[in-house]
Amino acid sequence: MRVTQTFNQTQFLSAIATLESNLSQTQNQISSNKAFTSASQDPTAAGAVNNYNQALAQNQQYATNAGSAQTRLSTEDNALSQVQSQLQSLRDLALQANNSTISSQNRTSIAAQATQIQNSLLALANTQDGNGEFLFGGFSTQTQPFTLSASGAAYNGDQGQRQVQIAAGQTVADGDNGNTVFGQVKTGNGTFAASATSTNTGSGIVGATKVSNAALYTAGNGTYAINFTAPGTYEVRDSTNTLVSTGSYTDGTTISFAGVQVTLNGAPATGDSFAVAPSANQSIFTTVQNLVTALQAGGSSAAATAQLNNSIGSAINNIDQALSQTSNVRASVGARLNTITSQQSVSGSQQVQLETTISSLQSLDYARAITTLTQQNTTLSAALQAYTLTQGLTLFKYL
Amino acid sequence: MPDVFGISVSALQAFQAAIAVTSNNVANASTPGYDRERVNLTEGVPQSNGAVSMGSGVMVSGIGRSYSQAAANQLNTSQSSLGQLTALQSYSTQIDNLFGTTIGGLSTSLQNFYSAFSDVANAPTSTASRQALLGKAQSLANSFQNASSELNNLNTDVNSRITADVTQINSIASAITTLNKQIVVGTAQGGGQVPNELLDQRDQLVSNLSQLVGVSTTTDSNGALNVFVGNGQPLVLQGQTTALTTVPNQFNASQLEISSGPLNGNVISSSLTSGDLGGLLAARAQVISPALNQLGQVATALSNTVNSQQAQGLDLSGQFGAAIFSVGAPQAASSSKNTDATTASVTVSGLGALTANDYVLAYNAGAYSLTRTSDGGSVPLSGTGTAGNPLTADGLSIVLSATPAAGDQFLIQPTAAAASSLKAVLSDPSKIAAAGAVQAAASNGNAGGGTISSGTTLNAANPNLLSPVTIQFTSPTTYSINGGANQAYTSGGNIAFNGWQVQISGSPANGDIFTVKSNAGGTGDNRNALASASQQSVAVLAGGTITVTGAVSALITGLGSQAQQINTAQTAQTAVNNQALSSVQSITGVNLDEEAAKLLQWQQAYQAAAQALVIGNSLFTSLINAVNK
Repeated sequence: MRVTQTFNQTQFLSAIATLESNLSQTQNQISSNKAFTSASQDPTAAGAVNNYNQALAQNQQYATNAGSAQTRLSTEDNALSQVQSQLQSLRDLALQANNSTISSQNRTSIAAQATQIQNSLLALANTQDGNGEFLFGGFSTQTQPFTLSASGAAYNGDQGQRQVQIAAGQTVADGDNGNTVFGQVKTGNGTFAASATSTNTGSGIVGATKVSNAALYTAGNGTYAINFTAPGTYEVRDSTNTLVSTGSYTDGTTISFAGVQVTLNGAPATGDSFAVAPSANQSIFTTVQNLVTALQAGGSSAAATAQLNNSIGSAINNIDQALSQTSNVRASVGARLNTITSQQSVSGSQQVQLETTISSLQSLDYARAITTLTQQNTTLSAALQAYTLTQGLTLFKYL
Repeated sequence: MPDVFGISVSALQAFQAAIAVTSNNVANASTPGYDRERVNLTEGVPQSNGAVSMGSGVMVSGIGRSYSQAAANQLNTSQSSLGQLTALQSYSTQIDNLFGTTIGGLSTSLQNFYSAFSDVANAPTSTASRQALLGKAQSLANSFQNASSELNNLNTDVNSRITADVTQINSIASAITTLNKQIVVGTAQGGGQVPNELLDQRDQLVSNLSQLVGVSTTTDSNGALNVFVGNGQPLVLQGQTTALTTVPNQFNASQLEISSGPLNGNVISSSLTSGDLGGLLAARAQVISPALNQLGQVATALSNTVNSQQAQGLDLSGQFGAAIFSVGAPQAASSSKNTDATTASVTVSGLGALTANDYVLAYNAGAYSLTRTSDGGSVPLSGTGTAGNPLTADGLSIVLSATPAAGDQFLIQPTAAAASSLKAVLSDPSKIAAAGAVQAAASNGNAGGGTISSGTTLNAANPNLLSPVTIQFTSPTTYSINGGANQAYTSGGNIAFNGWQVQISGSPANGDIFTVKSNAGGTGDNRNALASASQQSVAVLAGGTITVTGAVSALITGLGSQAQQINTAQTAQTAVNNQALSSVQSITGVNLDEEAAKLLQWQQAYQAAAQALVIGNSLFTSLINAVNK
C-alpha cells in the first residue's frame, strides 16, 4: 500500500482526536460517578433507571401517605381511649345512682356530673386533626360533626370513610365516621332490649336479659309484650297480639319465650307491661341525655323509683354497648396501624432494593473505569510518541 | 546521422521538465484535490541512414495525472453516506443530551405531579396541598414545553442548514459548469491534452458536492461532466446548471423541502437520502418529528386522563372539577395543492389506539384513504367523514367540512403540537376535585346488618348523577330503587343507577334504607384525588399496555437506542470512508520519499545528459584541434 505523508498526518490527527474523546468520556464518567452520562451510552439501562426512579419516588410517596394516615389514626385512637374512660366514669356514676337509698341531692349532683361527661364526650367526638379537619365527620371534615340537641346530639357529618394509599393496590382507612362510632350503638344487650312501660304502677324492674336461642328469636319479628294480668301472673304476646306463653311470677323470675330470657325483679302490678324489642341504633349522646333526664326527674313513689331504676339499668346496658363499640373501633384502628407499620417495613426494604438496583445500573464500576482510563492514557501517549517518531522520516532529510 | 548535441539537449529539456513536474508534486503535496502528476517520456523519432536506425533523444509527450475514476467514485459515495450520518448524528446527539436535562426533568416533574395528588388525598381540605399540586402541574406543563421547544429549535436549525446547503450546492454546481466549459475548450485547444489543473479542481468540487448531497456523474466525450442528484435529476448538464431551490412543504409552510429547478418545481426531498442534505432531511423525519410526536402522545394522555378524572369528582364548593390541563387538538393541515377549501378537523377518540404517527388523508375516486407517513402503510378507515359519522382510525375521529375535491390531501398530526401546547389552566386551588361525586349512607334505623360502599362515578355526564336516590329493601333478598321495580339482591353486587355505582354487602333486613346523594359538602373526601394519584400506574397508552410515566422511560430508551445506532453507523462509515480515502490517496497522493528519489533520479539523468554534451563538445574540440594542426 502506497501511503503519503499528508494522508498519514490526517489519519494521525483523527485517531488522536478519537482517543482524546474516549479519554474525556471516561474522565467524565469518573468525575460524575455515572456509568452513562447520556441515554445512548446504555439506552436500556437509561430507560430502566428512569422507571426505577419513578418507582422509588412512588415508594417514598407511599411512605408519606402512611405517615399521614398513622398520625390521623393515632389521634383517633387517643380520642377513643378518652371516650372509653369517660364512658367508664359515666357507668360508675350510673351504678352509684342506681342505689335506692340515694338522696335526691346526690342524684342531682350525679346528673350534673353526667352532663359534664356529656360535654366531654361531645368535645371528643368533635376532635380535629393537625389539618383542622374533624376526625369523626366522615367526608364532611369541615363541618362540626356533633351539635347538642334536646335528645342528645345531632350528627351533621356523613358516612364517608377516607382511604389512604400506603402501597401499590393497598389502601387503609385513615378514620371512622362519627355515625358509626358514636351514633350507631345498639341498645339493650345488642340483640334485643327489654323495657318497662312508662305507665306501669308496680315496682317491677327489668333485670338481666339473655338470648338463649338466637335463631328462634330472629325467626319472629322480635317484638313482644310481657303483660301482667295479675300481680303473680304474666302472659307474653307478640306484635300481632297472639299469645306466646303464660306463667306465674315471683320476684326474680326469669321469663323465657321465643329464644330469649328476661329476668324481672320487684312487684309488677296488674296491668303493668314490659316490652321486648330488637335492639335499635342509638347515639351515645341520647343514652347520656336519657340518663340525665331520668336522674333529674327522680321520684319518691315506688312506681317512680322503679321507673328511675329501669332507666338507669337501660342506660348501663347502653353504656356497656357503647364501650364495646368503642373497643371494636379501637381494635380496628389498631389493626390498621399495624398494617401501616408492617407496610412501612416492607416499603423500607423495597426502597433499599430499588436504590441498590438503580445504583448497580447507574453507578460506575470504578475499578473498571480506572483500568480503562489507564489503557486509554497509555494508547494516547503511545500514539503521540509514534507520531513524533515517524514525522521526521523523509528522504529529503538525507539529501 | 543523429547528433549528440541534439540528443543531449532533448534529454536536458526532458529532465528539466521532469524535475519541474516532481517539484510541482512536492509543492502540492498538501493541496486538497491535487492529483500526483508524472511526466510521460517517449523516445525521439529514430533516424535512419539506410543501414542503421538510431534514436534521436527523448521528448516529453505529456504530463499525466494519477487518477482512478473508480476509486474517486467510491470515495464520493462513501463521503455522501458519511455526510448523511454525520448530520443525523449531530441531531441525535443533541436530543440524546437532553436526557438527564430536559427529558429527565420531565420524568421528575411527572412524578412530582402525581405525588402532589397523593398529598391532596392525604389532606383534601388543605389549601396548601392543593396549591402545591397546581404548582407541580404548572412545572410539569413547563417541562413538556421546554422539551418540545428544544426539539422545535432543532427543526428550525434543520431549515437554516437546508438553506445553507442548497446555496452551497448551487454555487458548487455553477463552478463545475464553468470548469466544464473551460475543460471542453482546453481539451479542444490542447489537441487532446487534458488540462490537469482544471480536472483536479472539478474532481475536488464533485468531492465537496458529494459531502453535501449524494451525486452520480457521467463524462461526455468532449470532457464535460454531467452531475445528477436524487433519482437522476440533473444538477449540471454540460455547460448548464439546474439549481436546487427550497420550497415550503405543501402541508406545513414552516418546513422546507428541496425542489429541482424553479420552473417545474419538482419536490425531490424524498429522493435525497445521502450527503449532509440527506442527513438533515432524515434527522427531521426520523429523529426530531418522532420525538416530538411521542412527547405529544404522552402530553395528550396526561391531559386527557387527568382532566377526565377531574370531571368525575367534586371540588371544595361541590361543583364538578375543572380541567387542570389544556392540550392542543390534533392538527389537520390541508395541502397547498388542494383545489378547494375543504378542511379537516380531528379529535382524539381513544387514547389506547392513539399512536405517535403522522398520517396523510387523501380523497380519490370518491373514497378516503389514510396513509402513515413513517412507513407509507395504509390504515383502515371507517365512517364517512361527516359530523354524524366521522372517519375513525387509530384513536382519531376525523370530520371534513365538506366533501373534498378529488386528489385533495390533508396531513394529520395527532400529537405533534401537543407537548408545546400543554398548559396548566387551573389557577383556583379550590376547584381541584378531590372528592367523589356521590356519597352513600345506611339509614340509622336499619335493622339488618347491610353496609353500603362509598360509591363510584361511572358517567359524570349523567344529568341525574347528583340526585338523591333511596334504595329500600322490600325483602331481605330484593330491593327497589326510588320505589321502582323490585330487583334481586346479591351481597357485594354492583348496583348502578344515574351514572354511579355502589355495592351493598351483608344481610339487610326488610325495610332497610340506603341512600345515595350528592357528595357536596364532603370536602374531606379524597376518593377522586386517590384515583388521580393512582393514574400514574394505569396503563392507558398502546392499547392499555403503557403508563404515562412508562411512556417517558420508553421515550428515553428509544431516543438513546436511536442515538447509539446512529453513532455506531457513523463510526463504521468513518472507517469505510478512511478506507476509500486511503485507496484514493494511494493512487493520487504525493509521497515525498518517492518524489525525493525521483528528484535524485532526474538530477542524475540531467547530469548524465549534460556530461554527454561535454563529451560531445570534447569530441568536437578534438576534431577541431586535429584539423587546426
